[in-house]
Amino acid sequence: MSVTTTRGAEPLPTTSHARNWRPGYAVKLLLMALVNAFGVYTIWAAYLQSSWGIAIGSAVILVVVDWIYFAKRTLPLKYIVPGLLFLLVFQLGSMLYTGYVAFTNYSTGHNTTMDQAVDAIMIQNERRSEDSPSYPLVVVRDEDALGFAILDGETVRVGTAEEALADAPDAVVDGTSIVEVPGWEVVPRTDVLTDQELQEAVLALRVPVSEDAEEGSIRTREGSTGAVYRSSLEYDQDAGTMTDTASGVVYHADQQQGLFVAEDGTALTVGWRVHVGFDNFTRAFTEADYSTAFLRIVLWTFAFAALSVASAFLVGLALAIVFDDTRLRARKLMRTLFVLPYAFPAFLSALLWRGMLNPNPQYGLINDWFFFDAYIRWLSDPFLAKVALLVVNLWLSFPYWFVITTGALQSLPDDVMEAARIDGAGGWRTWRSITLPLLLVSTAPLLIASFAFNFNNFALIFMLTGGGPRFTDTSAALGHTDILISMIYQISGAAGGRSDYGLASALSILVFLVVGTISALAFRQTRKLEEIL
Amino acid sequence: MADIVVDRRRGARRARWLAEVGWKYPLALVVIFLATFPLLYVVSVAVAQNSTLTGSTRLFGSFSTANFVALGETSFWTWCLNTIIIGSATAVGSVLMGAAAAYAFSRFQFRGRRFALTSLLIVQMFPQMLAFVAIYLLLLTIGDVIPALGINSKLALIAVYLGGALGSNTFLMYGFFNTIPKSLDEAAKIDGATHSQIYWGIILRLVTPILAVVGLLSFIGTFGDFILARIILTQESSWTLAVGMYQWVASELNANWGLFTAGSVIASLPILILFFALQKYIVGGLTAGSVKG
Amino acid sequence: MRKLIVGVAALSATALLAACGGGGGGGNEAEPTTGSSAEETTSAAAGGAGEIVIWVDANREPGVIAASEKFEEETGVAVTVVQKEFGDIRSDFLALVPTGEGPDIAVGAHDWLGSFIVNGVISSVDLADKTSEFSDVSLEAFTWEGQLYGLPTAVESVGLIRNTELAPDPVGGTFEEMVASGEATGAQYPFLIKTGPEGDAYTYYAFQTSFGAPVFQQNDDGSYASELGMGEEGGQAFATWLAENGQTGTGLLNTDITLDIAEAEFMAGNSPYIIDGPWNVAKYEDAGLTIAVDPIPAAGPETAAPFVGVQGFYLSAQSQNQLLATDFLVNYMATQEAQTAIYTSDPRPPAMNAVADSLADDPVLTGFLAAAENGAPMPSIPEMNSVWDFWGVTQASIISGAAEAGPAWDKMIADINGAIG
Repeated sequence: MSVTTTRGAEPLPTTSHARNWRPGYAVKLLLMALVNAFGVYTIWAAYLQSSWGIAIGSAVILVVVDWIYFAKRTLPLKYIVPGLLFLLVFQLGSMLYTGYVAFTNYSTGHNTTMDQAVDAIMIQNERRSEDSPSYPLVVVRDEDALGFAILDGETVRVGTAEEALADAPDAVVDGTSIVEVPGWEVVPRTDVLTDQELQEAVLALRVPVSEDAEEGSIRTREGSTGAVYRSSLEYDQDAGTMTDTASGVVYHADQQQGLFVAEDGTALTVGWRVHVGFDNFTRAFTEADYSTAFLRIVLWTFAFAALSVASAFLVGLALAIVFDDTRLRARKLMRTLFVLPYAFPAFLSALLWRGMLNPNPQYGLINDWFFFDAYIRWLSDPFLAKVALLVVNLWLSFPYWFVITTGALQSLPDDVMEAARIDGAGGWRTWRSITLPLLLVSTAPLLIASFAFNFNNFALIFMLTGGGPRFTDTSAALGHTDILISMIYQISGAAGGRSDYGLASALSILVFLVVGTISALAFRQTRKLEEIL
Repeated sequence: MADIVVDRRRGARRARWLAEVGWKYPLALVVIFLATFPLLYVVSVAVAQNSTLTGSTRLFGSFSTANFVALGETSFWTWCLNTIIIGSATAVGSVLMGAAAAYAFSRFQFRGRRFALTSLLIVQMFPQMLAFVAIYLLLLTIGDVIPALGINSKLALIAVYLGGALGSNTFLMYGFFNTIPKSLDEAAKIDGATHSQIYWGIILRLVTPILAVVGLLSFIGTFGDFILARIILTQESSWTLAVGMYQWVASELNANWGLFTAGSVIASLPILILFFALQKYIVGGLTAGSVKG
Repeated sequence: MRKLIVGVAALSATALLAACGGGGGGGNEAEPTTGSSAEETTSAAAGGAGEIVIWVDANREPGVIAASEKFEEETGVAVTVVQKEFGDIRSDFLALVPTGEGPDIAVGAHDWLGSFIVNGVISSVDLADKTSEFSDVSLEAFTWEGQLYGLPTAVESVGLIRNTELAPDPVGGTFEEMVASGEATGAQYPFLIKTGPEGDAYTYYAFQTSFGAPVFQQNDDGSYASELGMGEEGGQAFATWLAENGQTGTGLLNTDITLDIAEAEFMAGNSPYIIDGPWNVAKYEDAGLTIAVDPIPAAGPETAAPFVGVQGFYLSAQSQNQLLATDFLVNYMATQEAQTAIYTSDPRPPAMNAVADSLADDPVLTGFLAAAENGAPMPSIPEMNSVWDFWGVTQASIISGAAEAGPAWDKMIADINGAIG
C-alpha cells in the first residue's frame, strides 16, 4: 500500500499522552500489550516451526505497529493500520499467487512439479506381472539394509534392493505369516505403519526376483503382501531422461514445455509446471477460439455492470425518497418487507428465478402470472436473456440501494437543509442542488464499488443462465450472457472442461487492470464533485 | 352553507392527502408484492409434502411441517450458531476497522491520502475466482504456526472476511464522515480533546446510522457467502448455513429442496429481525444527535 | 463518555478474542517440541505419520467412518474423514494434491480418471486376489491402460422407472411400444425425461446409442479411442429423431421439462414412465409411489445402452502414507462388511458382487443392475471433458426447434473435434 510517508497534521500542539493518564491511555496500553504478546508468541511459534517467512513477517509487522502506535507523527496510520493488516495478508496474498500462476503453464497435464510428474509416470508404467501371485510378505532388516521376506509356497525367500531373493530355509512360519528369519530382524507391522520414514522406504523398496532384471522385482503396496512388478520406463535423474526399457526410446525432460519429449516429438502423459513468461498474456489476445466472442463479451460485461448499478440505484433511491415520509404509517414494516429479497441467500433466489422464467406458462410463473400465459423464451433468446438477467439483478440488489440511500438521506445535515429552506429554495431545487450532490458524495464510491462487483458478478450469471444461449458462430463454449469472469471460469476448467489456470490467471489480471483503471478514472470524477462542496 | 365549506375543505384536505401521502400505500403494496412473490414460492416449497423447487406453478398445494421437523435431524442448528458467531464477529470487526480508516481519511491530511483511498477501493476489485488455492495455501502456512488460524477455523474465516472489510466499507463511511461538519472537531480540539476522544466521543456518536448500515450489510454479506466459507471450513460441524444448505441442493441430479427451502425461510429470519431492530439507527439516526446541540 | 467506554470495550473484546484464540490454541494443543522439524498436522491435509485423511461426500460419510473405526482400532492409525461436496472433490483434489496438502484417499466418479491420470495425481491400486469379487464393469471403469486406479463401490445408470399403479406390466423393448402404452394409460405425459434448456446428454445417451452412435469409438476391449463415434450416420439419425420428437414434432421431448418439473409431474402421477437414476428412488417412494425399474427401450435399431457411472475411492499419488492408505483401501474397504456399510449409508447399486447378491430380493435395485448391464462405462478419457460443453446444448437446440438437426449436429461434431485439438 501507499501510505509510505505520513505527517501528523495536528494544527494545534497536543499534550503528550505520557503525561496524561486518562482511562483511554490505559486501555491503549493494555491493547498494545496484548498485541505485542500475540506478536511475540507468533514469532516464537514460527521460529520453532522454522517458518522463517512468517517469523520475519510478523517481526516486521510488530515493530511497525509498535512504532505507529507509540510515535507521534503517525496519526492517520493509527486508524488505518488494523484493517490494512488484514488486507495485506489476505487480499494481496491471493493477488500475488494469481500473478505467479499467470506466468506458468499451469493447466491440465501440467498440474504438478517435475518430481511429482516423475513419480506419476513411474507409477503409471510400473505394472504387476500378470502371472504373479500375491505372496505373504514381511519387512526385514539388519544393520544396514531393509529387505523383504516372502512366503513362496512352502519356502521363505529373502532379499534386499541389492541382493536378489534367496531361500531362507531356517525361517519359522506360522500358517501364512513369517514369524522369524535367521540373520534378519522381522519388523513388526505396527512399526511399519506408524514410522513414516520406514513406510516410505518400504514403499520404495524393490527386491529383484533374480539376477536377471527382466524377471522384475518384488514390491509391496500395503506392507503385508508382495507381488512381482515390472517397470517399462527407467528414470535417470542426472541426465533428466526417461528410457523405455522395451523399445529403447529416450525421452528428454524439456524445461520449456514441461514435458518428457522423445526425438520424434511424442511426449509422456504427465507434464509439470514451468514458467512461460508472457505467453499466457499474448495468448489471451491471439487465441482464435476466443477472439471472435471476446469483443461481444467485453461490451456486454460493461453494459451489464453499468445497467445493473444504474437501475438498482435509481429504483432504490426512488423508493427511499418516497417512503422516507414521517406521515406514513407502518413505515417500519414496509421497509422490512422491501428488504426481503436481500435477506434470502442470493444463489437460492437466482435458481428460483431460473425456474420461474421457464418459457412454458404451465411451469413458469412469470409467463403464467404476468404475460397472459404467453410462451416467452426468457432464457433462450439472446436479447430476452439479457433483459431477464438485468431484471433479476435489479430485484436482487434494489434493497441494498434502498437501505444505503435511506441511510444517506437521513444523515444529511439538517441544518444545511433547513438553511436551504429558509433561503426559499423550492423542493426540486433543494433536491437537485443540495440533496443530490451530498448524496452522491457519500454514495459515489459505493456506486463504483458496485459497478466493479457486477463486473465480476459470476454467481448470478452462473446460476441464472450459465452464460447461455450459446453463440452459434463460434466454437468456444461461450454464450450471449457470458461476462468476462464467467469466460475465465470456463477457461479455468473448474466447470469440468480442459483447464488452463495459467491463461485464466492472466485473464484475471487483465480484467483487474481494466476494471481498476475505469474505477480509478471514475473516482477522480467524484473528487471533483467533492471539491465543489 | 357552512357544511358545504367544511365538506369542501375536508375534500380538499383529502385530495391533498391522497396526492402527497395516500398514493404511497398502494405503491407500497405493489413493491411488497414484487419483492415477495418469488419468496412465497420458497415458503410454498418449504411446507409442501413432495418438494421440488420449481416443478409447478401451483402454490401451497399441500401443507406439511415435515421439512421443518427434518431440519432437526441435520446439523442445521449448529450451522445457525456458527453463522451467527461468524457474522457478528465479522460485522463488529468491519465496523470498527472501517470506521477508524474512514475517520483517518476524512479528518487527516497526509501525503498519498488520495492514492491510498483509491487503492483501497481498487484492490477489492480483484477477481478472486481463482484465488481459492492461494487462500488455502496461505491458511495452511499460517495454521502451522498458529493452529487457531488454520484451515477449518472459524477465526480464520473471520480474518479472511476482515481482509476484505476495508474496501467498500471505508468508502461508505468516508462519505458520511465527510458530511459531519469539521467545525465540530475543531471546537473540541480547542477545548483540549485528543484525537481519540474526538473519534470515540464525538464522531462515532454522530455516524451511528452508518455504523448500523455497515454492520448490517457485512452481516448479510457473511451470511450469504459460501465460496470462501466452503474453502476454509472443511468439517461439517463448523460449516455456516450457506455452505451446509448449498450442499443439500448442489447435486444436479438429486437435490433436497424441501430441506433447503425450509432452512432458508428460517435463515432469513435473523436478518429480518436485525433489520427491523436496527431501523431506528438506519433511519432517523441523527434527529437526536448533537448536531443541533 | 459512556459510548466511548462501550466502544473501547468492544474493540478490546475483539482484540482479546483474536489474542486468546491464538494464544490459547498454542498453549494447549500445539506446543511444538523444541528443535523438531516434524510437520504440524492439519485437519484437512494429508496427515503426518500415523494419520490418513479421506475426503468423502455427505451420503457416504457414515459408511466410511464405520470402516475406519475398525482400522483405527486394529492399527492405531488415526483416520480423519473430511466431508466435502461431491462435485468439489474433483477440482480440489487436482489443485491440492500437488501442493502436498491433498487427502490420502478421496471418493470420486470413474470419469474423473482421465484428468487425474494426465495430471499425475493418483496412484494405482492393486486389489490382488480381491479383483474377482467386483463386477467387471466397475473394474473396467477404473482401469487405465491395463492398470487399476481405484476401488469401485457403486455402479449406476439410468433406467426406465415405472409407476406400477399406472402401468403394472413391463413394456416391450422399443420406444414406440413404450410411448403407445404410456398414451394408453391416459396420463398427461406418455413418458418423462429430464431435458431443460441446456439439454441432458447423459440421460439421453441410451437413446443415442440405440442408433449406433457411441460418443467415442470403442476398441475391441471395450475401452474408448479418442475418435468421436457419433459423427457418422447413427449420430445424424439420432439428431433427426430428436427433431421429430421435439417441440416442433410429436412434442414427446421438451426443453421446458427441467429436472424439477419431471420429478414433480412423475410424483403427481401424471406419467407412467420416467428415465431416471437410483438416486431419486427414495424420493419417489417417499412420495407414495410404487415403482419398478426396466431397461431403457430402444429408439433406434440397436440396444439402448445408458452410461454406466462407477463411483469409488482414489488413492493420492502424493500421499505421504501410501502404505497405510493402501492397507486401508485394500484390507478394510474392499470387504463385504465395509461395502455393505457404504451401501447402507448411500444406497446405490453396489459394485461388489457379494453385496449385490445379498440384495437380490430388492426388485428396484436388481432392475437398475439389469439396466446397467446393457450399458457402457462413461468414457473417462480426458477428451470426454471437451464433449460435455457442446453435447447437451446442441441436443436442446434441436429439440426446441431452434436449430436444424443435420447442420447443428455437424457443427457440434466440428466444435468438439476443435476443442479436443
